[in-house]
Amino acid sequence: MKQIGLIVVSITCLVGSAVLAASFDEKAVEVLEHYCFDCHDDASQKGNLNMEKLLREDSFDGALMFENLLTGKMPPAKKEQPEAEEKRAVLDWLAKQQRDHHQKSFRRLSRHEFVHSVNDLLGTNLDLAGKIPEDRGTNDFDSNRKIQLSREMLGSYFSVADEMLDQAFPEDGFPVEKSWVVNRVRDSHEMYRSFHRPYQDGTLFSWTRSNNGISYSFFYDGFEPPVAGWYELTFDAAKVADFEDDMSLQVHAGRYYYADDRPQPQRLLGVISLGNREVESRTIRAYLHPGESVSVHCYSRHNFRERNPKRGIYIKQLKVRGPLVDSWPPSSYQQVFDGLPIEAPSREDGEVLGFQTKLQEIGGSVSVSSFQTGMEKEKMQDGSNLTFWHTRFSPTVAKPPHYVIFENPNGAGIEGLSFATWQGGNGNGLVKAFEVYFSDDGKNWGEKVMVGDLDVSFANVQPIVFPKKTTRRFIKFLITDAVSLDGKSIASIGKLDVVTSLRAPAESSAIEVASRSPKDLKGVIRRFAGRAFSSTLSEEELEPYYQLGLLRLDDGGDFVQATKVGLKAILCSPRFLMAPGEHANPSFARAADLARVLWLSVPDEELLSVAAAGEFHGESLRSQVVRMLDDQRSARMIRSFSDQWLNLRGLNKVTPSLKLYPLYDDLLNHFLPIETRRYLQHLVQEDLPARNLIDSDFTFLNQRLARHYGVEGVVGQKMRKVTFPAGSPRGGLMTMASVLKVTTDGFDTSPILRGAWISKNIVGTPLSPPPESVPALEPEHGEAKTLKEQIDQHKSNKTCYACHKSIDPYGFALESFDASGEWRARYKIKQAHRSTFTYRPQGFFKIGAVVDASGEIGEDRFENIFGLKKVLLSNQQKIAYNFAKKFFEYARGEKPNLEQRLHLWDFLGKAEENVRLKNIVTEVLIITLNESKR
Amino acid sequence: MSDFSRREFLKFGAALPLALHSLNARAASTPGVKAPPKRVIFICNSLGFYEPNFFPTKRGDLTSSKYLKEMAVREKMTVFQNLFHPGMETSNHDSEKSFLTGAPSPEATNFTNTISLDQILAREMGGDTRFPYLSFSIYDRGWGCSWNDRGVAIPPMHDERQIFERLFGEENLSAKRQQIENDQQIVKSLYRDMEQIKKKGGDASKIESYRTVILELEAQLKHEEFWLKTKKPEVPNTLSDDQEFAFSTKVRNLFELSKLALQTDSTRVITLSLDWIYGAINVPGATGGWHTLSHHAGKADALNKLSRIEVDIVKHLDRFLAELDQIDEGEGSLLDHTTVVIGSNFGDSSNHTCNNLPTIVAGGGYRHQAHTVLEKPTPLCNLYLELLHKHNVDLGSFGSSKKDLGLLKG
Repeated sequence: MKQIGLIVVSITCLVGSAVLAASFDEKAVEVLEHYCFDCHDDASQKGNLNMEKLLREDSFDGALMFENLLTGKMPPAKKEQPEAEEKRAVLDWLAKQQRDHHQKSFRRLSRHEFVHSVNDLLGTNLDLAGKIPEDRGTNDFDSNRKIQLSREMLGSYFSVADEMLDQAFPEDGFPVEKSWVVNRVRDSHEMYRSFHRPYQDGTLFSWTRSNNGISYSFFYDGFEPPVAGWYELTFDAAKVADFEDDMSLQVHAGRYYYADDRPQPQRLLGVISLGNREVESRTIRAYLHPGESVSVHCYSRHNFRERNPKRGIYIKQLKVRGPLVDSWPPSSYQQVFDGLPIEAPSREDGEVLGFQTKLQEIGGSVSVSSFQTGMEKEKMQDGSNLTFWHTRFSPTVAKPPHYVIFENPNGAGIEGLSFATWQGGNGNGLVKAFEVYFSDDGKNWGEKVMVGDLDVSFANVQPIVFPKKTTRRFIKFLITDAVSLDGKSIASIGKLDVVTSLRAPAESSAIEVASRSPKDLKGVIRRFAGRAFSSTLSEEELEPYYQLGLLRLDDGGDFVQATKVGLKAILCSPRFLMAPGEHANPSFARAADLARVLWLSVPDEELLSVAAAGEFHGESLRSQVVRMLDDQRSARMIRSFSDQWLNLRGLNKVTPSLKLYPLYDDLLNHFLPIETRRYLQHLVQEDLPARNLIDSDFTFLNQRLARHYGVEGVVGQKMRKVTFPAGSPRGGLMTMASVLKVTTDGFDTSPILRGAWISKNIVGTPLSPPPESVPALEPEHGEAKTLKEQIDQHKSNKTCYACHKSIDPYGFALESFDASGEWRARYKIKQAHRSTFTYRPQGFFKIGAVVDASGEIGEDRFENIFGLKKVLLSNQQKIAYNFAKKFFEYARGEKPNLEQRLHLWDFLGKAEENVRLKNIVTEVLIITLNESKR
Repeated sequence: MSDFSRREFLKFGAALPLALHSLNARAASTPGVKAPPKRVIFICNSLGFYEPNFFPTKRGDLTSSKYLKEMAVREKMTVFQNLFHPGMETSNHDSEKSFLTGAPSPEATNFTNTISLDQILAREMGGDTRFPYLSFSIYDRGWGCSWNDRGVAIPPMHDERQIFERLFGEENLSAKRQQIENDQQIVKSLYRDMEQIKKKGGDASKIESYRTVILELEAQLKHEEFWLKTKKPEVPNTLSDDQEFAFSTKVRNLFELSKLALQTDSTRVITLSLDWIYGAINVPGATGGWHTLSHHAGKADALNKLSRIEVDIVKHLDRFLAELDQIDEGEGSLLDHTTVVIGSNFGDSSNHTCNNLPTIVAGGGYRHQAHTVLEKPTPLCNLYLELLHKHNVDLGSFGSSKKDLGLLKG
C-alpha cells in the first residue's frame, strides 16, 4: 500500500498525532478483516467482491464498500455488526483513500441555463431551448462536467443568441398589436356535427375524441399569427351541461389539418376550466408562430359522441390580441439601456380583424354567373364549407355557362385557387370539372390556361395550381361538369378563394435610443457584461466587446443595433458559456453558482450587491438561499432537477395503450408532471422532512388527476393542495402517476424496471449493469406462471440474485398500479378487436389474475405498497442522504466524493431538522460553493 | 406558400418540371470529366436484429434469410457474420456509442469516445459538398453515430421538416451573407477575448477547449460562405406526414432525406441512428415497446411483434437501396457509388450481447458475396479499416482493427 505514507501525513494534520494516525489505518484494515473477510476474502469472494485482493492493490474504488457500510446494508443484519467507532474508522479511511478524481474544474452552460439566463438578461420570455440540440447525452444531469462543448452546440448558441437579441431589439421595430374576433370553425365534415355544431352566436363543442382515439382539434378560422410573438387568447365560453364537474377546454396550436386527415401533432397552450353556465371571458397567453393555427378540444368525462350534442362547451367567440409586449417601451429596452433617453412613439393599435379571405387581403372582388337567394357568392367566401354558393334554380334554372370571376385590381401574384365542395347536402351541383381563363379586361378571355377535375367525394380543400403565377386582372373559373341528380345543369361551391403568398407588410413601431456616444455604448456593454459574467471587468478586458459596436457606430450605424453586436459577443464568450466565469472575487463566483443552480440563470441585483459587499457566508448565504427558493424563478430548478432526477423528461415518449387504458388522455398527461413539480416545490419551500418523498397524506391535484386517483370532491382544473382520504395508497413520489407511467412502456408494467427506478432514484442503491450473456427476463402478464414466479427465476441464478434481490422487490409493491398509474387489484389482459381499432371508452381487455404486491427487502417483508413505504420510512436518513447526493450531482455536475458524502451523512444524522429538504438543499449548496472556490 | 403545403401542391397540382438528375450524372456524360464521387452512409439499428430471422440459414444464400429474402438488390449486398467489437462485455446499451468508433468499455465512468469512422471519411470526402457530413436520428437526443476527434458527440438532426429546409429550402442570400459576416467578426472579437482571459491568468484548459471549438466554427462559417455562391438544389418535398404509423413514417422520411441528400450531392457522408427505447410504437401489424420486445426471452408472441418492427425497418432499407439503384449515375447507379453499411451495436439485444453483430454492406460498386461468414470472431473494425482504404484514407489501424482482411472485392 504505497498510499499509506500520504495517508499518514494527511491524518497527522487532522488528529495531530503520528502514533494515532498509524494505528488508525491499521485499525480500519483490522475492522474490515474482522467483519467483512468472512464472506469477502480470497476464498469466498461473495457477490464477486474480494476485499483481500482489493486491499493489496495500490488504489481501488472504495465507493461501493463505502456506501454499503454507511447506509447499513453491509454487513448484513444477521451478521455481527461493527461498533460505531469502528465503522467510522473504516469510512474515514475509505474517504481519504479515494483518489482525487481529475474532473475538469469547469463546466459548460446547459441549453436550458443558456435560454433562461439570456431571457433574464434581456427581459424577454422565449422558450427556445428546443432550438439547441439536447446536450445531456446519457448522463444523469445536464450539468455533468464530462459534457464538452461541440462546434454544433456553439453554432446553435450563436444563432439562438441572434434570435433572442432580435426579439428584444427588432431591427424593424415592434409589430403593431392587432385584434381579431372570430367565431367560425375551419372546414369540417357534416358528420363532425357530433363534435361541434352551430349554437346560439357561436359553436357548441362536445367531446372530440376520434375513432382512432386521438383527440381531434377543431381550428378557428380567420386568425393566423402574422409574426412570432406572445398573443392573448380570450374565449367567451360557458359550460352547457347540468353535472357538477367542470368541463375543460384544451387550447392547442399547430399545423392545421382537416378532421378527415390523420391529426397532426398539436401543442397544448393551456387549459380553461369551465363550471359556469353563463358565458364568461377566459384568457390564456401563448407564444405563437406564423403558420400555426389555434384549435380547441372539449373534454369532459360525461359526454361522449352524440348526434346533435346537447351538452358541451359553448364558445361564443374567440378574441385574439397580439403580438403583445410586456410594457411600452418593452422592458428589454428599459433593462439594457437604462439611463439613456429611449424614444418610443406611442404604440399603435391595429384594427379589429374578422375573417378575411386571401382575395380580400389582396383587395380583390368576386362575381358569379348567377345565384340562388340564400346561397349567394358571399357564402363561398365566408371560410366555411357548410355554407355555399349555388347557381339559380328557382324560380327558373339558370342556363350554363356557370362560372366565377375574380378581379385582382392590384396585380397581386396569384398562384392558384383553393377549392372545397360544400358539405351537408345531397350532392347536387358538386363541381366535377373546370377550366381556367385569364383576362386583362374581363371581356377577352383568350385560350384556356388549364383544365382539371375535382373530387366530389373529397371534403378537404383541393388546391388548383396555375401553370405559372399570374398577376392578371381577371381570372375565370368555368364549371364544365357538375353532379346533376335531376338532369338540370346547376353548380355549387362550398369555398373558392385565390392562393397567394403575398403578405401585407407588417406595420411596426420603432424605438430608438437617442445617443450616438461611444461612452454610452461602452456603458451599456459594461453593465450587461457585469450582469452576464457576475463580475467587474477592466476596460482592457471589455475592449473586445466594445470594439465591434464602436466600429458600427462610427460607420453611422444605429445605436441599438451597434450595441447588439457587443451583447452577442458577450453571450457567446467562454466567460459566459463555460462556468465558472472569471470572477474578481470568490463572492461573485458564489453568487453566479447560486443563481445557476437555483434559477438556471444569472444573479439579480440583490445577489450582486451581496457579492460586492463580500458577504457570502453563514447567515447571509442562508438567507439568500431562502429568498431565492421563495422566488418564482426557483420553479425552473424544481422542474429541471425533478425532470432529470426522476427521469420525467421521458414522460411524453410513453403513450399508454388505449386498449388497456382507454380513459388516458392528453389532459391527464399534461397535469402528471405538474403534480410532481408542485409537490416537490412545496416540500422544499415549506421545508418538510425527507419522509414526504416516500409518503404523505397530501399532494397537489385538480379534477382530472383526482379522478385518476379516485379522490372525490375536487372540481375544476386548478391545481390545489388536497388531503388524501384515509387508506389511500397515494402520497409520496413513488405512487405518483407521472412516475408510475414513465417506468413502463405504456402497455405492461415491469417490476424489474420500476424496482430499478426506486433502487437508483429513491433508495440510492448503486446498481451495476447485468453481466453479459445472462438471458434477460421480461415477464408477461398473460402467462400461466404468475409474474412473481417468473421473476423469481432471478433467485435460481446466484449471479442475478446478488443484485436483483435489492431491485425486484420494490417493483413488486408497485404492481398495484397499472401503466397509466391507476390503482388495480387485478391485471388486465388485452383482447383482440375486430378489424381496425375503433376507440371505445370501455377498452379492449378482460380481467386477469389478482395482483400480488408482496416482497421482501433483506429481512423486511411487506404485503403491499403500504408495507413497502413503512420499510423505507424506517430509515429516513438514508432517503434524505440519497436526495442530498442527487441534488449535489445536479448542482455541481459531479457526484460528491466520499469525504463529502460522509459530511452529508453526518449532517443528516446530527439533528432532526437536518433531514428537512430546505436544510438539505442549503447544506449541499454550502459544500458545492466551497468546492467552486478551489 | 400560404394555404397549404408545398407537398400538397405537388400532390394535386400540375407536375412541376423535376430535372432531378444527380449532378454527377450530367458531369459524367461530358467527356473528360471525372467519375462520380464515392459516398457512404452508416446506419445503426441500435436494438439489433433477431439473429435467426436476420442471418441466412443456408450459408451464402440470402433467400434463406427471413428478413432479407425479398430485398430488391440482393445481388448488390453482402451480409457479414461473426463480426464484433472487442471490449463490450458489460457495455449494454452504452455499446451504441462505440458502433462507429470501436472504443472499448463505453459503460465505464471515465469513458471517452474516439473519432467515428464517418468523421474520418468526412475529412477526406466532405470538403466538396455543401454539408461535409450529415447526421440524423429519430428524436432529439443529442448523440448518434458520429463523434468528433475529441470523442465529443455530434448532435444529429431529427426534425424532418427542418432538415429539408436546411438542405433544400430557399434562403435569403443577402441576409445569410450578412449573418456570416457578422459571425465572423464576432469570432474575431472572441479571439481577442480569449487573449484577455489568458492574460489575466484564466483557466488555460478551459480556453484551449473553447479555442478548439471556435476554430471549428470559424472553418464552418468559411465553408458556408463559399457555398453561398451555389444555389441549393431544388427538389420536391416528398416527406410523408402520415401519423398512423408515426415511427415508421419517421424512419421512412430519414431514409428519404438521405436519398435526396446523396442524389443532389449535398453531402457524401451520412450517419443515421435508429433508436427508440421508450414507450410503445406502432408499425404495420404490431404495437409494442420496441425495447421491451427486444428482451423477448424467446417467447413466441414477443418475437412475432419484434419481427414486425424489424421487418418494417428492413422494408425502409430495401426501398432506400432500390431507389438508389434506380438513379442512373455515370456507368452505373447511385447505389454503385454509395457504400451503405447497416449494422448494430447489439448481436443479441435480448441478452445484451455484442457478439456476431448483424452487418450488411450494400452498394459501393463492390463485387458482392451475398453472405460472408468469418470463421472466428473478427473485429468489425477490420471491415471499417478496409472501408477507409477503399476511400483512399491511408490509416494503419482503426479502433480494434488488426488488419484489412480484403473482405470487399473489387
